[in-house]
Amino acid sequence: MSNNYFNTLPLREQLEQLAKCRFMHMNEFTEGVDALKGKKMVIIGCGAQGLNQGLNLRDSGLDVSYTLRQSAIDEQRQSFKNASENGFTVGTYEQLIPTADIVLNLTPDKQHTPVVAAVMPLMKQGACLSYSHGFNIVEEGMKIRDDLTVIMVAPKCPGSEVRAEYVRGFGVPTLIAVHENNDPQGHGLALAKAYAVGTGGHKAGVLMSSFIAEVKSDLMGEQTILCGMLQTGSLLCFDKMIDKGLDAGYASKLIQFGWETITEALKYGGVTNMLDRLSNPAKIKAFDLSEELKVIMRPLYNKHQDDIINGTFSRTMMADWANDDVNLLGWRAETGETAFEKTPAGDMEISEQEYFDHGILMVAMVKAGVELAFETMTAAGIIADSAYYESLHETPLIANTIARKKLYEMNATISDTAEYGCYLYNHACLPLLSDFMQDIDTDVIGRGLSSDDNGVDNARLIEVNEALRSHPVEAIGATLRGHMADMKKIV
Amino acid sequence: MMQLHDLSVEFDEGFQLSNINWQIEQHQHWLITGANGAGKSALAAVLAGYGEILAGSTSGLAAKIGWVSFEAQAELIQAELKKDDADITDVISLGTPVSEIIFTEEINPATAQGLIQKFQLEYLLDRAFRKLSTGESRKVMLIRALSCEADLLILDEPFDGLDSATHALLQNHLAKVVKHTPVVMVLNRFDEIPQFISHIAYMEQGQLRYQVACADAQAYDELKQLLHLKTTDLQVPAADTDNLTPALNPQQPLVTLTNICVKYTDMVLIEGLDWTIEPNQHWQLSGPNGSGKTALLSLITGDHPQCYTNDILVFGYQRGNGESIWQIKQHIGYVSTALQWEYRVGTSLRNVIISGFYDSIGLYSKSTDRQKQIANEWLALLGMQKRGDQPFNKLSYGDQRLLLIARAMVKHPPLLILDEPCLGLDDINRQLVLALIEKICAAKETSVIYVNHHAQDRIHGIEHYLALEKSLDNC
Repeated sequence: MSNNYFNTLPLREQLEQLAKCRFMHMNEFTEGVDALKGKKMVIIGCGAQGLNQGLNLRDSGLDVSYTLRQSAIDEQRQSFKNASENGFTVGTYEQLIPTADIVLNLTPDKQHTPVVAAVMPLMKQGACLSYSHGFNIVEEGMKIRDDLTVIMVAPKCPGSEVRAEYVRGFGVPTLIAVHENNDPQGHGLALAKAYAVGTGGHKAGVLMSSFIAEVKSDLMGEQTILCGMLQTGSLLCFDKMIDKGLDAGYASKLIQFGWETITEALKYGGVTNMLDRLSNPAKIKAFDLSEELKVIMRPLYNKHQDDIINGTFSRTMMADWANDDVNLLGWRAETGETAFEKTPAGDMEISEQEYFDHGILMVAMVKAGVELAFETMTAAGIIADSAYYESLHETPLIANTIARKKLYEMNATISDTAEYGCYLYNHACLPLLSDFMQDIDTDVIGRGLSSDDNGVDNARLIEVNEALRSHPVEAIGATLRGHMADMKKIV
Repeated sequence: MMQLHDLSVEFDEGFQLSNINWQIEQHQHWLITGANGAGKSALAAVLAGYGEILAGSTSGLAAKIGWVSFEAQAELIQAELKKDDADITDVISLGTPVSEIIFTEEINPATAQGLIQKFQLEYLLDRAFRKLSTGESRKVMLIRALSCEADLLILDEPFDGLDSATHALLQNHLAKVVKHTPVVMVLNRFDEIPQFISHIAYMEQGQLRYQVACADAQAYDELKQLLHLKTTDLQVPAADTDNLTPALNPQQPLVTLTNICVKYTDMVLIEGLDWTIEPNQHWQLSGPNGSGKTALLSLITGDHPQCYTNDILVFGYQRGNGESIWQIKQHIGYVSTALQWEYRVGTSLRNVIISGFYDSIGLYSKSTDRQKQIANEWLALLGMQKRGDQPFNKLSYGDQRLLLIARAMVKHPPLLILDEPCLGLDDINRQLVLALIEKICAAKETSVIYVNHHAQDRIHGIEHYLALEKSLDNC
């Protein structure tokens, strides 16, 4: 069984690795893809990430081919068709791995151990193995041959977007890291940078992190605010509206598209801007609700972070892997049976502003979740930059998947690891909020405040605005969004 | 009510107006516009009873017409000069004095006197009409027309040659006249259009192409833009000399496709196709839906994944040898409906044009002042100079297409690919797009590949044709 790499490190190194995250400057990428020019890149796996990264890398002038298991080739599975119809060379591990200068492991987390065990003996001396998620190295403690360089290049978007943004002439924000135990030639960073350029990531911003910081912050973000909070919030808000007699189609639509609409405001101007979209009385209401939510949910966020840091989470999940995913599949089916999931969105018009005005509780949940995740991560030693990206920054991306096809789409798009954590969170959070929900009425979800009086107390408004604006996630957010704006869309 | 019904009229030198259906109702004031030679003045002349009717009929034409035009002015001057020639005595003819030209039986002397004072022309009354400057004789013509108590005023380019003070006086006076007299005005510039004009007739090649009420703001704007493109000498703004794309070998073809095969698991789309595009050749590519037109083009642009499995030499790059698609795309300008669908960004019109320098959808790089300047010149060319900061996605469909053509041309690519550029456009926008493309073809520094279904959209200047057939093969 596995041997948690993080737990083998002394506290000093654990803290040092957790604190790694730096936004790289555009001029650090002037070498372009040179470090990979003429090198043979072999991608394992041809799902959405594998195919789309490969298309980008090839269009950047790099030599890309795909290796699949013999059975996938023989049975002409979808992965085989993906690669061959796009004009790529496809071969077995035995045929292609020995020729590779760099092997890109783009298979799902849970296949990493068998896949890496199979390819490692075939890799040539001094080659490079690349991951897009550090779970296998950090949580499972996979030991990689000493002569091999190990890097991580992780585009922070679904594969389809990785391609779409590249074709537009842009890219998606990308995290890179070098596994320091495996950098014998000292060129890991050069390879990772060239890889990021090849996928277009350098245009959207690259974060230099560590395997450990990536894993511990990624797990925390995805299971709490990103997926867990949105799932729990969706179920609670929907049931409350139905309970209070609102039209089911309206309730379903308000939630399905509401997350996306309100977090769009988050993307542009942080939590402050999201709350600024509300009227003054509604803003104060949302603020008060979120303060209450933070008190109730803080122990849960702490527990998730603690379980992630000490390895309890990954150990539990891997046990489920070993047990044929019984828990995961059961919880997935359960989610599909919820009232929210089964009620189609109505065809009424809901204006952009109405999503805020009628979704005060949803705004409060997003605020509470983002701030709690950020506070918990930074308290655990994760640097603010990482914590920002894994909480606030990614929330709109996940909200977008719910807008497409509700929770089903969200859980289908995210990794199995994220999905597993999301269900854990949801199971704990639903009962935790049941008392709180007792007192909730349609003024904060479904109907909005009555607009008779928009008056507020000056002192209270100043207090709330001050509290919103002085939260640490807002400070780092303003800085990072500023960096991004230098290279991102000049709108 | 004046009516022209299915009217075809011939003028001297064989110029014809054909199939004119037009109706001028009471209290309407029309502007006739169009490019040079479109038949604007001829249409106005028909109202004055000129031209030989070949077919159709007229009714309700005005009995008494006040007419100002370059032709009428020239006619009068010609007549004066003839008088001179006719003078067989040895006395130098002084010519007819202006007062005699103005104060004929037909005019109201009081009105004429008032206008002479207004235009401050007293000093001219005793001079010979033929000695006047163009502007002065134009003023005399105006006074004649405005004092004759006409049933219809035809003012053909009345502002031509007038100083700005007189221009303003005339506009003022007309504002009063139109209360009791209908006006038909001929202008080829929209910026001079007086407020009282209620309708616009747009002429093209002797036909009355569009009739637009000024109250229809959208139709009005489109017409204005069409006129702008038709009447402006297209000076394609210069390339960005600070960031020129690498020069190509002029002796080499731009594109050489050899034995092209595009196939999917269940079908062969293109097989065994060869195609060479030399510099400065214009091509029209046609074929039914599904014959592979877009696939073929995307092999050239590098957007089709099978460009790596075919023998493709583009701009000196044999595909699949370590070149990046951006090295290919820098030599291509590309416009298609699909591009327009993908271009759903809230960026400004100016930035959309600048994005052409970077081949990106949206703008992700800091642009230079020079690039902004060039973008502004393109906006001016399209008649959108005042709209540079407006968001692209709020633009009409036709305007978006025009802007994307400008985006494609901004870097002066050696190859411009227009994949059904008129698709989804209404007639007037189609005219706009074709007018722009024709001007680009005429400039001869860019090879154009033009794809379409519509035979009537054939572009002047294209001399090579490639027709794809629908492949029925299965593999």
